[in-house]
Order: sequence, then structure tokens, then C-alpha cells
Amino acid sequence: MVRVELGVAETNVMKAIAQATGRSLDKIKSDATAAGDLGIVAESSRSTQKTLFQPPPLTVQAVFNKLKEVAGMTGSSSHSKKISMITSLLVACKYSEARYLARSLLGKLRIGLAEQSLLQAIAQACFHTPPEQDRSEWPPKKLDCGKKYSPEALKAKYEEEAYKDADEAEIKVQVCIFAFDLIYLNGESLIKKPLIERRELLREHFQAVTGEFVFATSLDTDSMEEVQEFLEESVKGNCEGLMVKTLDEKASYELAKRSQKWLKLKKDYMDSGGDSLDLVVIGGFNGKGKRTGTYGGFLLACYDPDEEAYQTICKLGTGFSDDDLQKHTESLKPHIIPNPKSYYRFNTQLTPDHWFDAVQVWEVKCADLSLSPVHTAAEGMADPQRGISLRFPRFIRLRDDKKIEDATTASQVADMYKSQEVVKNSTDKKKGVDDDDDFY
Amino acid sequence: MFEARLAEGGILKKVLDAIKELLNEASFDCSEAGLQLQAMDNSHVSLVSLNLRAEGFENYRCDRNMSMGMNLASLVKIMKCSANDDVLTIKAQDNADVVTFVFESKNGDRVSDFDMKLMNLDQEHLGIPETDYACVIKMPSNEFAKIVRDLSQFGESIAIACSKQGVKFSSTGDIGTGNIKLAQNSSADSDDKVVVDLQEPVTLTFASRYLNSFAKAAGLSEKVTLSMSPDVPLVVEFKVATSDNDYGYIRYYLAPKIEDEDS
Repeated sequence: MVRVELGVAETNVMKAIAQATGRSLDKIKSDATAAGDLGIVAESSRSTQKTLFQPPPLTVQAVFNKLKEVAGMTGSSSHSKKISMITSLLVACKYSEARYLARSLLGKLRIGLAEQSLLQAIAQACFHTPPEQDRSEWPPKKLDCGKKYSPEALKAKYEEEAYKDADEAEIKVQVCIFAFDLIYLNGESLIKKPLIERRELLREHFQAVTGEFVFATSLDTDSMEEVQEFLEESVKGNCEGLMVKTLDEKASYELAKRSQKWLKLKKDYMDSGGDSLDLVVIGGFNGKGKRTGTYGGFLLACYDPDEEAYQTICKLGTGFSDDDLQKHTESLKPHIIPNPKSYYRFNTQLTPDHWFDAVQVWEVKCADLSLSPVHTAAEGMADPQRGISLRFPRFIRLRDDKKIEDATTASQVADMYKSQEVVKNSTDKKKGVDDDDDFY
Repeated sequence: MFEARLAEGGILKKVLDAIKELLNEASFDCSEAGLQLQAMDNSHVSLVSLNLRAEGFENYRCDRNMSMGMNLASLVKIMKCSANDDVLTIKAQDNADVVTFVFESKNGDRVSDFDMKLMNLDQEHLGIPETDYACVIKMPSNEFAKIVRDLSQFGESIAIACSKQGVKFSSTGDIGTGNIKLAQNSSADSDDKVVVDLQEPVTLTFASRYLNSFAKAAGLSEKVTLSMSPDVPLVVEFKVATSDNDYGYIRYYLAPKIEDEDS
């Protein structure tokens, strides 16, 4: 199978819709912002332009061939050719075809199917399968895996498969699977049993092989202090955090559901741990789906007093309640500026829908800091080319007591980056072994 | 086989300039009567109908009806290799998959030939119903081109209103409104007169970008004829003609816009 990229940008689909319906591009754009989904816009754009002859109905084969042609176009004026090709498809669309065509072009085919519906469908299919039918094929292997492996293990499995065809000598990634739970054993489902029993069965029936298959390190405790200690230890060992689970009471395995039985504990969730930064809001991205009508994300920057410039550090979209988003959208609207200030340092790949005058300072927490090719914060301080960005940034609160010049500075960001355990470990290691190894 | 010799090869160049904006590829249908082309643009809003009569050619031979699918961008490339006063011969074998273009310079000491691969195009033959139009406007083609060009600056659509007094072209957009009125002038046999043959007044609105593409044909002839009736496509016709030869015509059909509820 060959993967083919359509290479169609959102604005090009908008242009095609404009051409196909005779409406102006500006109206399409404002509709798209309001609806948050170009598919809906494509479907509901009532044509203001009559056609001479109705094009023949679309067939799967014809659409597929045209899309392949679109994907294959390169060279001069390929953009306008793509647009006209898409236009010809859109003109022939009937009923809701335009919605799904537009979404397919953008690679965002939302068909309104969630995991829960799929589970129900599978259950019904099982139920309706007549008894005489051969059941040896059921449940399908793939589904089976999906439920047995944790995401981490699945990732490992994926890597295994990816390397299956590779020459043994070429395999450089050593995969080790950390087992932490057992939910299905010898034809019996264990999900109703408490974790303590499941873990016992796991250790009883599996044998650890050093470096390949080991049991996940765990600690049974009821003291908050011990949790804190264990977390700090795990962070030093380059782990992201801990999973805290009920052991005995109310400790069954919940399939595909969020519950209070398992909680994620990351260092940035702890009051003491995690890094908090005060950052300036310089741009906003229009929200889509549930967040239509408000901003769905913001572009934040730190301050470089030497250059008197604001350097982007992260795109922030978590930590807000719906009310928060509404409020921020309202409060930032008056500060929209048509073009970025000359002292904003950003990468064009991360151009927000609206630029803001630098007026608000937000407190943001993050899991950790990493090097980034797109963000410009502290560029040249930790790495000659790359800047630093925040991983998993979360909004904490508005710092109206702080002025924009009081924001976290670039050199502070660089220091925070360097003081991280992971970075310290790797630079220590590097000094000892190999200075050229700049690959991570 | 098919063979057609055109004394003024430049005519085909001009015809091509007049259709290449609207069409990427098209089929030339050859019959005893001449060369014909009929195709719609990608959005099915406009249609080009070209007719070059056999009599317009110096030599014309077509043993069997055939249809030659051509990529117009490729054809433009080939035509660029010729001079305007070259004599052009188009040749193709029956059921051939290439067509040959031969250019001979006026004094005959330079001959070049080019083969072009033909394409298989899906042919939808479209019957255009004969219509008696409610109004027919004859005007100088340069004037038409200028009006369309000027008004396109204002908005995406141009309204054409035809009444007893004359014709009014108007367009509205972000910067404002533009109106251009042409009165019927009866000053006899003046070249730049506007003639309106009116059964009933008609006003229709069209997308400017198509009108602009049609105006590219203004170089083909002095006059243009616009025919309109309520709710049917506009017809813009240019004769393909020189002072001493009538080659045929090129007609554009354009579907009107529906009154815009957005604005």
C-alpha cells in the first residue's frame, strides 16, 4: 500500500466551494469560522449560480480517480488546477455529498461514531451471530489485542511489528514490555476481579525476562507522603509520572471508561512539582467543534529583555472551562491587531487566526520543557537552532497583578529546561560517551 | 484521413487564446462541414461552442467523422512555435492517436511540424435548445471587453439590463457601485454603434470572471452579439472573421446567477 497525501489546504477547499457555488470567499470564510466545520459550510452553501447542465452523478470510482489525480499534481499552477478539479467534484455533489467530500479533502472525516457505539455494535453482532456459524474467528484478533494491551504495550507491539521485516542486525531499538495488569486469562475474563487478585494472577502465570518482559514497578501504600517520595523517584528515573489505582475495594477493571479508580499523577499536578511560568498571550486560534465561536487555543510567549522581544513558547488549549474560554475570548477581542508586532518572534507554521496586542499575563503549568523546531523561546540558549517549548501546558489563572514585562524571561526558560532531570541525565551521559550524538 | 489547411495560422492562435482560460481539455469534432468544439468549464456554468466552417479553410478534407481530444495547454505550447502569418496544416490519420501540425512560413523557406498525442475524453454531447431571445444587443467587441474589465474591479457579478433606452451594465462591491449605460445610437454605418433588438426588457446577473474570460475573444472580430431572455443562459457570440474571409463563430453560453440572498 502506498500512502498518498492529497496536499490540499483548507483555504483551497474554501476557494473551490466559492467557485462551485458562486458565493464570495469572504462569506465562506466567515461561515466556516461560525460553523467550525467546512463540511457543513460546503453542504449548506446554497448555490447562487445556476449551471447549464447538471453533471452526471458521482460514482465512488470517479471520485477516487479524481482525488488520486489531485494528489498527483505537482509543479507550477498545480494549486489552481487542484482547485478547479475540486470545484468540478463539488458541482456534481448532491444532498450531503458535499459535506463528506470537503471533510475527506481536509482529512477530517467525522462520521459521528464514538467508541461506545462501536462496542454496542460489536455486542449486537455477537448476539445475532447464529450458533451454527463458525465462531473460531470470533472475537477477531485485532480487537482482542486492543483490549489486552495497554497503550504503552501496544506501542511496543507496534514497534516490534515495524521492525519485523528489518534485518536483525539493523534493529537498534530494544523493546521491553512492562506488564502491570491482566484482564483475560485462559478464556476467562478477569475484569470484575479486584486489582490485587489480577496482579497476583499476572505474577503467577508469567515469568519475567530481564530486558524483555518485566513487571511494572509498583508500591502499595496508604500514605500520601510515600506517594510523593515515589513520584519524585520516578521522575528522576525519567518517567512521566505515576498511575494511582485502587487495590482491593472497588478495584475492578473499567473498560473504556473514565473512573476514580485509576488516577494519573504527573509531577505538574502536584502543587510542589511541575514548572509554573508567567506567559504573555499574543495570538488565538479559532475553536472547532465544541469550541466553535470562542478561541480553541492560544499562542503564548515568554519575554526576552535583551532583545525586547516576545518569543513563542507553546500553543495552549487545556485547563480552561467553557466559561473561561468565553471570558478570555471576550476580554481579548478588543486587543486584536491585524498584523503581529515587529517584536513578536514566531514561526510561520504557527500563525494564529488572530494576533493580540500583548496585554495579558497567564500562569501556565507544564509537564516538562523540550526542544522545539517551531517555537522560538530561548533560541540559541539551550540549542543553537531550536527553541524551547512546553509539553502539556495547562492554564492555571490570569495574572492581572503582573505586567507584560514581568513575564518569565527567555533565560529563565533556558535554565528551567537545563535543570530538568532528563536533560541533566542525558548531558551527563553524553559527556562520558559521545559528544556527536545529538539525536533524540 | 483528415487534413485542413489554414492560410492564416494565426487565427487558430487567437481562437485558442479565447478558450484556454475556460477549458483545460476539449474534443475537436471533425466532419465534412468543418471543425467543431463544444465543452463546459469545470463548474458547468459556462459552455464554449466553436464552429470553424470547412469553407474557411484553403483546403479541407475529412473522409470520416472523427473526434480529437486535445490538452489545450499542450496545444498552446505548439502554437507558440509558429508565427502569426504562417500557413497551418492540421493532419491526422483515421483512428490515429496523434495529430500533426505543420507550419510553413509565408515565403515557404521554413517548414516545421509537431505531433501531439491525442487524449480520450468523456464526451457528453449537449443539445442546446434553439431559443428566440427577448433581446439581442450588437456592440463593438472592444467596448464589451472594456466594460467587463472595468466593472470586474467593483464586484464579483455584473448585471446586464436591457431596455428600450439601451443597455446598462452595473456591478456592486465593497468599494462601491459602477454603472455603464450605452444608448442605442442610430448614426448610420458608424462602426462603433450599439444596436438593440428588443422584444421585452430583460435584466440578468452574471459572474464577472466568466465574462472576463469571454472578453478574451474580442481580438477575433470587431463585433459581439449578446442575446438574453429571462432565466435562460446568456449567449455571447463573436464571429471568427477577417476582412476577406468568414471562418465561423465562437459562442459562449453562461448560466445566470440567482439573486443573492446573502447581500
